[in-house]
Amino acid sequence: MKTPWFTKLAVYAIIVAGALLFVFPFIYMILTSFFTATFSLPKPEEVLQVTPNFINYQIVWGKNHFAQYFSNSLLITSVAMVGALLISSLTAYGFARFAFPGKEGVFRLFLLTMMIPSVINIIPQFIIVKNLGLVNTYSGLWLIYIATGVVGNMFFLRGFFESIPRELEESVLIDGGGNWRIYWNIYLPLSLPAMGTLAIFVFQATWEEYFLALTIIKSEALRTLPIAILMFNDKYATNYGQIFAASLIALLPVILIYVIFQKRFVQSGFNEGAVKG
Amino acid sequence: MLSGKSIKKTRWQIGLKQWLSVLPFVAVGIVGVLVFVVYPMIQNIKLSFQEFNIMPGTKSPWIGWDNYRGVFDDPNDKFMIALKNTFLNVLVTVPVNWFLAVFFAVVINTRFVKMKVTFRTIYYLPIVSSWIVVALLFKYLFADGSGGFVNYALIHLGLLSDPIAWKSHYWSAMVMIWLFHIWKTVGWGVVIYMAALQGIPRDLYEAADIDGASPVNRFFRVTLPMLKPITLFVLINLINGAFGFFPQVYFITQGGPMNQTQVIPSLIYMEAFKHFHFGEAAAMGVMMGILVFAVTFYQMTKIGKQRLF
Amino acid sequence: MRKRISVLLVLALSALLAACSGGNDNASPGDGASSAAPAESSEKAKDPAKKVTIEYWHTYSDSEEKVLVEKIKPMFEEANPSIELKLTRMPYEGLKDQVIAAVAGDAAPDLMRMDIIWVPELASKGALKKLNDLPGFDDVKASVFDSPMQTNFYKGDYYGVPLNTNTKIAIYNADTLKEAGLDHAPATIDELVQAARALKGKDKQGIGISGIHAWGLLPYFWSLGGTVTNEDYTKVDGYLNSPESVKALETIVGWNKEGLVIPALLGGEPGAWDGLKSGQYMMIDDGPWFFSIMLGDAANEFDPIGKTVRALLPAGPGGSHSVVGGEDLVTFANSKHPEEAWTFMKWMLGEEPQQIMVDAGMIPTNKNAANAIDTTKNPYIGPFIEQLNTALPRTPIPEWGEMETIFNLSFEKAIRGEQTAADALNEAVKQISSLLGD
Repeated sequence: MKTPWFTKLAVYAIIVAGALLFVFPFIYMILTSFFTATFSLPKPEEVLQVTPNFINYQIVWGKNHFAQYFSNSLLITSVAMVGALLISSLTAYGFARFAFPGKEGVFRLFLLTMMIPSVINIIPQFIIVKNLGLVNTYSGLWLIYIATGVVGNMFFLRGFFESIPRELEESVLIDGGGNWRIYWNIYLPLSLPAMGTLAIFVFQATWEEYFLALTIIKSEALRTLPIAILMFNDKYATNYGQIFAASLIALLPVILIYVIFQKRFVQSGFNEGAVKG
Repeated sequence: MLSGKSIKKTRWQIGLKQWLSVLPFVAVGIVGVLVFVVYPMIQNIKLSFQEFNIMPGTKSPWIGWDNYRGVFDDPNDKFMIALKNTFLNVLVTVPVNWFLAVFFAVVINTRFVKMKVTFRTIYYLPIVSSWIVVALLFKYLFADGSGGFVNYALIHLGLLSDPIAWKSHYWSAMVMIWLFHIWKTVGWGVVIYMAALQGIPRDLYEAADIDGASPVNRFFRVTLPMLKPITLFVLINLINGAFGFFPQVYFITQGGPMNQTQVIPSLIYMEAFKHFHFGEAAAMGVMMGILVFAVTFYQMTKIGKQRLF
Repeated sequence: MRKRISVLLVLALSALLAACSGGNDNASPGDGASSAAPAESSEKAKDPAKKVTIEYWHTYSDSEEKVLVEKIKPMFEEANPSIELKLTRMPYEGLKDQVIAAVAGDAAPDLMRMDIIWVPELASKGALKKLNDLPGFDDVKASVFDSPMQTNFYKGDYYGVPLNTNTKIAIYNADTLKEAGLDHAPATIDELVQAARALKGKDKQGIGISGIHAWGLLPYFWSLGGTVTNEDYTKVDGYLNSPESVKALETIVGWNKEGLVIPALLGGEPGAWDGLKSGQYMMIDDGPWFFSIMLGDAANEFDPIGKTVRALLPAGPGGSHSVVGGEDLVTFANSKHPEEAWTFMKWMLGEEPQQIMVDAGMIPTNKNAANAIDTTKNPYIGPFIEQLNTALPRTPIPEWGEMETIFNLSFEKAIRGEQTAADALNEAVKQISSLLGD
């Protein structure tokens, strides 16, 4: 059955129109970042005619410890991401594959924690980190980032893990392998799309987090990138060109991570993958 | 024949054995959650019955239900307004979000469309960008007067005669918050649905083709039923997301004008950290938790048993 | 049966949790005490020259921070070789949240420069250290202006010292002022209103109320004869809703209806600065940073000195009253180095450091330093110092934070036309009175 050209055109028109809606604000942001007249709201006519330049990018990179915070953030986020993926997948594996008394109870309790708004949990969390002697260390941050993400991540992964057919485990069992081998050789490889998706979520959430980072990290030298961006938001006036230049630089790693992991992310449905695997 | 006692004993033994074998996998995760999530939550509940004293080492006296009463005694009805907005946000954004997600996913997934991955990447961009940055961007696009891009575009398209002061009126502020939320999150649903669509076996469509089904017919007979389990997952997430509005309000309107656009999480945050009303903030959190739990409990039990995909 | 096991398990987990957290509480402070504290005291005993580091949180801007780092810090450390001043610049956004978290977690800095309106509130929570019985306090108090000093007052004691003060003056776009038919800044509110009316047909606005908040509204409210509280700041009934106050608010509402007030009042565009620069706004009011930021910004093309006319706020039936702003220097109740912190506070309030901060656009609170300013060299600071004579503080009480929310809301309701001025103010009085506990 051949598709008529006008149907094709209509379908493409819809997709492109949708894509424009999603991408245009970013384009407008990029255009604004070329704008050097400071502390004013740039007018649309001016923005649309701006000449590309990198003046704001240069200024921003050298200001508010931007470069240093950038690398701090890279370190914190990478470790948090790897840690969260490991711990969450292990926990999800335990919940998906093992039967044990009280499993449903624990699961419900975990789900309940997702319902109560956690915005004021920061004070007890900070006190725990302090009692552990981890104030002003990245370990303190990592502990909180990883632990607070476990519930949601596990919730997400468990579904994937449960969809992996049990028969696949038999080959490992025949080879004399145990639960760890099953986790490592069967579950992880087969759920790579899910792990890739999760990696993006975790990376992004950690990358933009500033409140905990500001609370736990006391030395200016150890601070993270979102704090540098906040510093551009002055008490008295906003410099849109600089803020957006800084934001765009901050956006790059996330997009990079996304492009890297998205190949994995849902190329084939994992149902299909599992059967083939 | 086993006596009751030994059945119990073996049950305990089996339970213990099961725990021992699963513990290596889940121990770190469970302890982490208990310490950094459950414990703060318990503190939160405790706090809702106390008059919180921020100074370490000082006593926070127990005051019973006073915080809860305080929440409802408010002459400005902040909590009720926030509650109303929270439900309104769910009612408005969830259907729109869901429809757009299915719509775009199906359209992009049309057989002849090329560059699927590119389009998916573009649709997903807002999701991976930081809330703060995107909020700033939206505030900037929706700036008042003809200097704001949205006003400028609407005027040039002839849809508006005068620029709108978006954040100054309740409804325009709410529309802005909704647009912001939908723009930021639709990509997630699109990606999930695209994955699910690709998971639908080809032969089902071929069978439908043999029956002579039209594309629309095929969509309703094959696609939609096959998407049912994932739709449940998507809806629950969309509902939870709409209940959990925080950056959408906090970074865009700060609850203004006149606290009219406040939602519960942003209200909690501002009550606690701007006005030192930790007790009342905690009480609101507890009530919100119970509410959301009640609303989603039915689906939760379903999710607990059903495969997500 | 299964259910019962789950319940048991949850209980067991909570018990485990309690044990865990209990463990934390017991073990860690113990650890801290056994390792850190003795080490510190022995260090002190062994090596008296050992440096003490005091941490100082501030929110100075780029240009101001430069003066702080390059001049103040070296000068202080040279005068006090045993103390190292560690400067930490905090983002202004969400600053109060950070202070609360730090205080609650016993991790507050030694020193902080904070907005004057926070001091009574934090003092009432017990977060700040009382200063009046410290050696040399009376000397410091005598050396500074009284009204900024009063912002540190709470229940008979002082919890901070005034670091710098400021206020707002009227800033006019010179060209627009001419267009409105004036060759000088309006001296009275009547003159201002007349000029604003002259601009009405030209899509330009003449009355520069910058926003619906106490900081933006109070100068006009006061100058028009309105009052907020009695002199002891204990009563609003009969003050905020007095006939004069109602009339003052009605006048502001009327201006706005007539289109005389800049759209920035309701959060509209252009923003106050942009509007003034483009000439759409004849007048705005703002602090000295308007000039220091523009002069310090290389990319700025607007000449803030030549293109503006600066003057006292126009006088109304109540006089010409601006609002006092500024920052206080405080130390926290949990500071580990109270002596060193106090040493810095005393030093920083001295004549020379206060004069140095003038370069960063700060108006000194030290009387001698203020009197020594050469207003001919600094092109904009003169009117600010003059305006300070009649500027009034926002209600300096712990409840101000909440009071302001109510105040703002009632003014917003009146200005948006949802309530009459009298109704809005009466309702505000009712709410604030219950807040103040009478």
